[in-house]
Order: sequence, then C-alpha cells, then structure tokens
Amino acid sequence: MGPASCLGRPTRMAAGEGRRMASHLRRFLSTFVLLCLMGHASGQGKGAPRDLKCVTSDLQAWDCSWRAPPGAGRDALYDVCIKNRSRTCYQLGKTNTKIPALAPGHYEITISPLQDFGSSISRFILSEKNVSLIPDPPEILRLSANFSTSTLHLEWSDRGSAFPRIANVIWEIKVLRTENMELVKLETLNTTLSGEDTVLRWSWASDLPLECAPHSVGLRRYVDSTHFSGRKEWSDWSPLQTVSGSADIQNKAFPQDKVVPVGSDITFCFVTQEEVSSAQISNTKYPLIHLDGENVAIEVHNISVSISSGTNVVFMTNKDVYGTVIFAGYPPDIPQKLNCETYDLKEIICTWDPGRPTALLGPRSTSYTLFESFSGESVEFKRVVAPINETYQLFFQVLPNQEIYNFTLNALNPLGQSESTIFINVTEKVCPHTPTSIRVKDINSTAVILSWHLPGSFAKIKLLCQVEINKANSVRELRNVTIKGVDNSNYLIAVDKLSPYTVYAFRIRCSSETFWKWSKWSSEKQYLTTEAVPSKGPDTWREWRSDGKNLIIYWKPLPMNEANGKILFYNVSCSSEEKTQSLSEIPDPQHKAEIQLDKHDYIISVVAKNSVGSSPPSRIASMEIPNNDLRVEQTIGTGNGVLLTWSYDPNMTCDYVIKWCNASQPQPCLMDWKKVPAHSTEALIQSDQFRPGVRYHFFLYGCRDRGYQLLRSVIGYVEELAPTVAPNFTVEDTSADSILVKWEDIPVEELRGFLRGYVFYFEKGERDTSKMRGLESGRSDVKVKNITDLSQKTLRIADLQGKTSYHLVLRAYTNGGLGPEKGMFVVTKENSVGLIIAILIPVAVAVLVGLVTSVLCYRKREWIKETFYPDIPNPENCKALQFQKAVCEGSSALKTLEMNPCTPNSVEVLETRTAVPKMEDTEIVSPVAERAPDGSEAEPENPVAVSYCPPVIEEEIANPGAEEAAGTSQVVYIDVQSMYQPQAQPDAEPDAEPGAGGGYKPQMHLPVTPVGGAVAAAGDLDSAAGYRPQASVNAWTLVSPDSPRSTDSGSDAVSFGSPCSINSRQFLIPAKDEDSPPSNGGGWSFTNFFQSKPND
Amino acid sequence: MKVLAAGVVPLLLVLHWRHGAGSPLPITPGNATCATRHPCHTNLMSQIRSQLVQLNGSANALFILYYTAQGEPFPNNLDRLCGPNVTDFPPFHANGTEKARLVELYRIAAYLGAALGNVTRDQRTLNPAATGLHGKLNATADALRGLRSNVHCRLCSKYHVGHVEVAYGPDTADKDVFQKKKMGCQLLGKYRQVMAQLAQAF
Repeated sequence: MGPASCLGRPTRMAAGEGRRMASHLRRFLSTFVLLCLMGHASGQGKGAPRDLKCVTSDLQAWDCSWRAPPGAGRDALYDVCIKNRSRTCYQLGKTNTKIPALAPGHYEITISPLQDFGSSISRFILSEKNVSLIPDPPEILRLSANFSTSTLHLEWSDRGSAFPRIANVIWEIKVLRTENMELVKLETLNTTLSGEDTVLRWSWASDLPLECAPHSVGLRRYVDSTHFSGRKEWSDWSPLQTVSGSADIQNKAFPQDKVVPVGSDITFCFVTQEEVSSAQISNTKYPLIHLDGENVAIEVHNISVSISSGTNVVFMTNKDVYGTVIFAGYPPDIPQKLNCETYDLKEIICTWDPGRPTALLGPRSTSYTLFESFSGESVEFKRVVAPINETYQLFFQVLPNQEIYNFTLNALNPLGQSESTIFINVTEKVCPHTPTSIRVKDINSTAVILSWHLPGSFAKIKLLCQVEINKANSVRELRNVTIKGVDNSNYLIAVDKLSPYTVYAFRIRCSSETFWKWSKWSSEKQYLTTEAVPSKGPDTWREWRSDGKNLIIYWKPLPMNEANGKILFYNVSCSSEEKTQSLSEIPDPQHKAEIQLDKHDYIISVVAKNSVGSSPPSRIASMEIPNNDLRVEQTIGTGNGVLLTWSYDPNMTCDYVIKWCNASQPQPCLMDWKKVPAHSTEALIQSDQFRPGVRYHFFLYGCRDRGYQLLRSVIGYVEELAPTVAPNFTVEDTSADSILVKWEDIPVEELRGFLRGYVFYFEKGERDTSKMRGLESGRSDVKVKNITDLSQKTLRIADLQGKTSYHLVLRAYTNGGLGPEKGMFVVTKENSVGLIIAILIPVAVAVLVGLVTSVLCYRKREWIKETFYPDIPNPENCKALQFQKAVCEGSSALKTLEMNPCTPNSVEVLETRTAVPKMEDTEIVSPVAERAPDGSEAEPENPVAVSYCPPVIEEEIANPGAEEAAGTSQVVYIDVQSMYQPQAQPDAEPDAEPGAGGGYKPQMHLPVTPVGGAVAAAGDLDSAAGYRPQASVNAWTLVSPDSPRSTDSGSDAVSFGSPCSINSRQFLIPAKDEDSPPSNGGGWSFTNFFQSKPND
Repeated sequence: MKVLAAGVVPLLLVLHWRHGAGSPLPITPGNATCATRHPCHTNLMSQIRSQLVQLNGSANALFILYYTAQGEPFPNNLDRLCGPNVTDFPPFHANGTEKARLVELYRIAAYLGAALGNVTRDQRTLNPAATGLHGKLNATADALRGLRSNVHCRLCSKYHVGHVEVAYGPDTADKDVFQKKKMGCQLLGKYRQVMAQLAQAF
C-alpha cells in the first residue's frame, strides 16, 4: 500500500455531513499516516501484492482486497497469513478475502504469491482503524401513495440483526419529482439499531398532487457505531422506487374536493394531453407551472375562505374547461358555553355554542362527540345539512347510581378538532319540565289542595316549588314549598289563608332544592273558594219621609271580603222597648226598605244572609235630633272629592255620618253616605258618582245615644266649571247717551259653580259690521264692566253717543271660568238740540255771507260793471265797418253786414208776401238768396216782412215755400265768421266758402242782464227762437254735458251762446279777449252755475 | 389519443346507464294492455301544453339560480361550463305525428326527471344552505312527474301506448364535485333549451 494508493482512496463523504466529517477527520488522517508509514516500513518490492484495503459492512467480517502484482494472472494463488498470537494462513485464488473482524490490536498480514515470480512477500500491519465501515445500501420494502392526501408512505428495514452491537443509524431520504428527477425533498432520520430487523416508515405529503407527476424515493444510511474505531462512511443509495400518476387519468385537475385551512398555500395541477391556455380560481388567473408533458400546475398562496359550494379551480384548454373544487375553511372552534343539565334526571341535555363558523357545510361540517369519562360512554352529533339557527345539543342518558359526570365535547372536522369539558353533579343541575295537570280541591272556605303532575325521576332529590296565588284586584302572592320528589307522579300541597268565596288563579313552577333553574310556569288554574258566613253587617242609614211617619232604611251591599259569599237576602227589624217590626228576606238587589213607625225611637237592625249563614246585625237609631242653629255653607272640592271638617264634639258618642245628594233633587234625597269614627274631625268625601259642575248637598250628622243630629249642611262642587248658558238680559231704557240693561239669574244646573259675577262688554258697532271679536283681549274700543255684586241685576251705561248703534255683551262667570256670551245691538236716541244747532249755524253763515257779498257788490258795482260789462263801442262809428259799395257789388259771394238799426226782440210775420222783396236795409246777399230764382217765383204772393236784420229778411223772401210749409216764422242762421271776416281779415280770399269749417266757436252766452233778467230773456228767446248758432250743429256738441240744451240733441233749437246777439246786435265778446284761449265748449260757464241740476 | 377519447367517453357514459340503456325500445305493441290508475282528463293536451308553458317559464330562473349558487367562474363562463352539451339526451322531432312527439316527450320527461333528481341530491350535499335552489329543483321535478303522467295518460288513452322505453343520463354519485356542478349546469342549460322547443312544438 503505497502513498499514492493512500492518496488515491476516494473519500466517500456525502454532501451535507460536515458535522460528522469533522469528528471523523482526525481518525482518518491518523489512519492515513499510519498506512503510509506501514507501507514504507514493509519494504515491499515491485512484484509483491500491494494496496491492501479492508472494509466492513456489518462490523462482523472484514472484506480485504489487494492489488495483484504485475504479471500475476487471474488465477494466481496467494498465501495470506494473519499473524498475531498465532499464525493463521489461507490460500486464496483471488485478490480479496473476507476475514472475521479482528479484535482490537495490530496484526501483521503477509500476502505472498504461491507461484514464485521472484516477487517478494507483502507484509501489512492491519488494525481496526484501517478498516472502513460502509453499510450495505438500504432496501425499500414498500413505497405507497395516498393520492387523496398526496402522501407518500415509505417502508424499509434497518437490518439491525446484521450488526452485533447497538448503533445509531442516520438515514437520508430523497424524493425526486418528474422525469427530470428534480430533488424536491431530502430528509434525514436518526434511528438506533437494536440488533433485530426493524421496519421503518416515513411519510411525506407532497405539495403537488401525486397524480400530476411521478415521484421517486431513495435512501441511504450511515451507521455510527461507537465501538468501531475505523472510518465510517455512507452507504450507497438504495435503488429508487417511483410512484407514478395514474396512466389512465386524463383531463383531470387535482386535488379533488379537498378541504384545506383558510390561508394555506396549495398547488393545483391538471393532467392532460391538451394544451392548457389558462388557469383560474374563481375569476383570478394564475401563472402556469409546466410539468411533464402538457401537465400544468398553479400555486395558490393564502387561500381565502370558500363559499358553501366550494372554490372552483378551472383549467381551460382549447376544447373544454376542466376543474376541481377546493373547500377552504376553518378547523372547529372550541365549543363555548357548554352546559349540561337535566329536565327529569333521566336524560342529560348538553348544549353549546359552536363558536366561529367553519365555513364547511354538508359532509365537511363539524361533528361533535360527547364523551363521559367515568362511564366511557359517548354520543355523537352529526348533521349533513346546516339549518339556520340550529340548536347544538346532545342527549346523554342518566346512568343508574351515577350522579357525577365528566363530559368532554369533541368537535371534529376535516381540518382539525377541538374540545371542551364540563364536570357536573346531575342532581344539582335540574331544571324540571313544566308542571302539568293542575288541580284544586277544597279543604274549607279558606284552604285548598293543589296538585300537579311533574314528569321525572326525582325520587332521590327534594323539589322546591313555588305557588303563585293571584286574586282579582290584589297583589300576587308567592309561596315556596319544599316537597320530596317522586318518580313520574303527582304532587300535592295545601294552600291555606285564602279568602272565602274568592276567585283565585294558581300556577306552579318547580326546581330542585339545590336551586339551579326554575321550570316554566304552569298554566293558570282558576278556582273559587267556598262561601263562609258574612263577617260584618251591612252599612246602614235611614231617612224619614217628610211626613215623619215612614222610615226608609238604606244599606250598602257588603264588599266581597265581608260578604264571604253570595248574599241572598236581608232581614230588617225595627225594635223598641214595646215591640218589634220586621221585614224578612228582602232579596239582594234591593238595598232599602220602608217601614211605617208610630214613633221615632226605634233601633233598626239589618242582617245579611248568604247560603252559609247570617251576618252580625248592623244597628242604627231611628231618632233624628233637631238642630235649630243650622245654616247652609258652601265648599269647593279638590277635584276628586270634598273635604269636610268640623270641631270635635264630645257629645257625639258613636260616629259621624255624612250623607250627600244632588242639590237639584227634592228632599229627602240620598246618593250615598259615609260613616267616620266619633273621634274624627274631618272626612274626605269621595265617590265615583261625583261629577264636575254638579252641585251636591252634604249633611253632617252626629251620633248621640238617642239618635242622629244634623250638624252641618253644606253645598258644594267637587270641581267648578264655567256656566253653560249666558244670562238673559234686556234693555230697559234707552236715551241719547245711556242704556239701561237688566238681566236674569242663571239656573243652578247651568251655572255649574258658584256665581262670582258678570262681565259686561259694549262697543260701537252695527249688527252687520260689528262683531264682538276678542273682547277679552283688551281691545281699546271695547269697554268692560265687571259686576261682582251678585244682587245687582241692572246696569246703566252712560256717556254714550246719540243715535249710535252699540253692541252689548253679557257673560256670567264662576271659578270655573267665563260662560258663553249673549249680545244685542242697541241704538241710542237722537240728540234734537244738536240737530237744530247743526242746521241753524250753516244757514246763518250763508245769510251773513250773502249780506256781505251784496254790500260789497253794491259798493263796487262800478268796478264790476267795468270788469264784467264794459261799454260796447258803437259800430257805426267804426271805420272798419264802412264797406265799399263797389267792392261789395263786384262779388256776389262777398257779404257785408250793414249795421242798421233794427227793432230787436220781435219778428213780425206778414200775411202777404211780396214777390220781390225790397232790399233796402242791407246790401248783404245771403247764399241762400242766390238760389232764390228757383223758388222765389213759386210763392210770389207770400211776402214776409221781417223787422229784423236785413239778410234774414232776404232769406225769408228767397224761400217762401218753406216758410209757408212750416207755418211759422223762419230764422236764417248767419255765419258769424263770414260776417266777422271783413273785420279781422279784410283782404281775405273772396271765394272762401262761407260755411266751411265753422272756424269760430262761441265760448259762452254772456247775458249782460242780471240773473233774473237773463232767465227772463232766455225764455223770450226760446219762444221766439230768435237766435241760432252759426256753426254746424255738430260743432256744438262740445258744449258742456251739464247744459240741458246740449243733451237735447234732437231739437232744432240747440244753441249755446253767440258772439252776436240777435237781440242786441252787439258783439258779446270783448275785443280784449281775443287773446284768451278759445273755449272748447266744455269749460265752466256762468250759465251753468244756475243750471246745475234739473231737480234743483 | 383523440380517437381514444372520443371512443372511451361515450363508452364510460354507456356503462353508467341503467339496465335498458341504449337505443329506446319500440313502444308497446298494439295488443298490449294499457291501463292507467285514474281516468284521464278530457283536456289532456291542454294540460300538457300548460305544463310545458309553465316549465318553460321557470326554466331560465332555475338555470340562473343554479349557476349562481355554484360560484365563480360559472356565471361568467356559461357557454363553456353550462352549454347544453348533454350526450344521449332523448331526441325530439317537432314535425312528427302527435303520437311520436308524445312518445319523445315522455322520454325527455323521464330523462330530465331522473337527472334533476341527481342534481337535487348533489346540491343538498354541496349547497345545504341553498334552500331556494332546492325548492325550485323539487318543484321542477314534481312538475315533470306531472307532465310525464299526463303524457302517459294521453298515450294510453288515445294511442293505446302503455309502455315506453326510456333512457337515463349518467349517475353523478361518484363524480367529483366540479363534475357534479358542471354536469348539473349543463343539464339545466339543456333543460332550458329543450323546454323552449317543447313549449313551441305543442
């Protein structure tokens, strides 16, 4: 064994065993050095065997081998001798030999070839340290796969029997995936060899479902024997064993229907031969991880909780969609509020709250097992479906002779389990069922037997039961009773201290004596106790008839607690020292009796009887002691009653009686009465019969030895209200400044309280316009009088205005408020003196003004004349009116007015007309006259002599036919404007049409005479029809509508003033008024002043 | 491989059929006795039409309720997950005689009734809280039973057909959950489709 061979030895150190290598390194180096030295020391020649090497696999035999010397054939023989204490030699035809393990120490090994080739003998010093321990590769007994859990199960034998001593073994297992043998798991296990063959097992859960890729498993070992000083090395790997996915699986995704915890990481794979385009969970796509072939996988991290139907994982190919479903949920929560109790000591009911929902339903839901540790029995709770609001409870049968139970509730689902425990004494956890079959039986009128049924095996315990006793109009009463329990039987107790002839309602609930919970209340059982003798006599009173011969005896029906049964009838007896009168068996509904007595000194006794017996007699004296010092008082109640007080009277030896009645009822009246003890000094009278606003009469009687004496008489109200009606009032007297009002009393029934006064309102106002609104609100125009003197029945209202309407309102009031109002309207009388004064003063003032005006006018008459009636110049003296004859004759259209004197105010109609009138007064030719030839010859024998203006005369002559037809005198209208034109515009165009335009408009008719004279003149003018307007009639319609003439539009006599008075020939319009604005006919005229109204 | 898949899958489906699966047998010969438990109504065809209209009216709602209860991605991949790809579904020829159409209707009703029973059973386990879906599935199955009874009455009373060989779809009991969901969805898609066709044909 040369140095080269020493260096050339391969080091079988597995990767990753640095820790062990460090411990063996020292030994290895020392062995190496020793062998090298040994080789040199032996001084072998070139032809000697060399490189002796010994290994062991089981520490029992060493397998030594050497290299043959050069030239030695395969079948060369060697003589091998081991020299220690003795010499042992072997002849071998090979270059290795297996020798038993040598004891510790150094041995000389000589190997000499038997055929002498001139080679030398090789000598080796061999010890255990020069031997390597290399175990045989382990052999896998079985490799199986659980596809549902993606778990590999490996089984192999440790071959411990091959090793003589106990030794530690290190196993190394590798898992390779896919055809590419990707290492996905390398795990180390430590075991101990016990000298016997032991089958070892190892399981591994793959993250990738096993169906999707082949998984290969191999292992090796390293025996770490403390007794072996040589070098130790890993064995070779065992042959790989492979688990392949099912070959016939196609187009399937894995894992299928797996339940995983929420938040876990999981790998899904898909076995297919189609090309997968995408993969997604719900709607989220995931990147594909390609496996062998077309198989793919996806990795999902932190998976979220699934819906009830699971989370869908789909793989999409071009042809179809494939997938699987995963259920992500939670392991079961620890059962909370675990409670176990029993209703009947036959069965224990355990209830709990499951806690956090697992999100796993159906076959994946949580199953519960209730395990009792003492008995070892258990019950299971399993449901397939998950109804909402399910009650989680389990029933466990009570075991005989066992009171203590230790329950463990185990919750289990595919993701895990949890548990909760409870320790109970079942006899202390009794919540009995609801008692049933309640029955009541009489003992006597104040006691009954109550029985009920309670299912359950309560023979070993005592029950605590509670009886509720309900009586009408009374507080409920609870009575506890402890009774010994029995098995499924009835229970009965006695209930006493009840009232006779009373309806009771009983109900019961029970618990154990060691109280845990009450049962539910049983149903109510009503029961009427039996009757007993009435405990008291009826409350009695008496009233004498007004004739004093008959006595009416009243008594009140006994209350239930005193009647002790149904009162059938009453017996009344009146007894004196001499005799006794009785009225027997007065039936119950009747509560009074009348008896005729010959004197007043009797003792009346009333007895009530029911089916059991008679009450003690109730006695009252019939005598009424007179009281002369009695007056009627008033009192006001408190709303719910009336408080009466009185002074203590030691003479009153028995009691006081207050009776009352409605004050409107005739005497003797009685509504009710009340007895109070003799030492009392007050009594609050209350009654359901009291009504607000009703007057009651209260009588206080004191009881003496011989009888009752009326002490006080009081009227009052429990509550005052406002009157319901208004007082009737009338007006007794009316003057110009005052009204006397009188009213009547209001009836007591309608007063509804003690009258406190009247309120009288009055204000100006008429029936249709004035409404007494808000009289109470303090309106300033409303006057109020408060009449508190109740004896006053009249009221005089003074300081009023005459001939004025007043609104009067009267209201009565009590402490309850104001009653309704009643009102009327009254008109005061007229004040005549004032009227006279009102007429005289304006008349006097008018007269005075007239006088002053007359004086002033008289004294200023010259000025007035100058102002309103100046002198008119004589036109004859005006050169402007001297028309040239030649000019006038040259134009027939030109007309001039020759102002000849004419006789005014008369038109004389001649009987005979001349054919050709003589025109000598004027040179003016009327336009009408130009048509004279047509008609002038028609009536030549009808000449008209007109003592008027010459043109008019001409016209009359020119139209004799018309004149005759009319039968009246004709008046020709003259166009004043044309007549006036030569004065104003002497050079005007002579062809101007005389009737055109009507340019002149008369402003007014200005009479120059005084008023009276003007009227007279107007009348004359009308009769003579002397004046006609010059302008067209239409132009006159602009006259003031006040003018009577203007309204008479159909009359030919319509006229309104003229600048030229036919009567006077004078221009009425002064020259200086030319600049004044022309009248439009609607302005004020002095004439109008006197023609204001026709009826005036 | 495609050939293998095309041949194996139908073979597997056929193996799941019950006895009598395969091509429907001929209807009852004319001389066979035909009896019904109760006398048939005179207006049977009207009732059949009404039942078909009623089933057709509720088919879409049932389909929507079903695929909604299965969770994503069913609602968003109806064409691929819930397409009416039901193999071996009994055929229907709308242009046939009334007798032939009634026979085909009977086979369809029988097929659907059995398949809906499977779907209902699967959903009770898978969606125990979906009581609305369970109720609709049950109601539909009941209506199909009524329809089948009326069709049987009609066939028996008018055409003296007392027995019709029927075929059923594959049982889903041993399928994985996703398969159950998908097959149920496909069946209800087919149901919706065929009900529209039947309601129009009658």
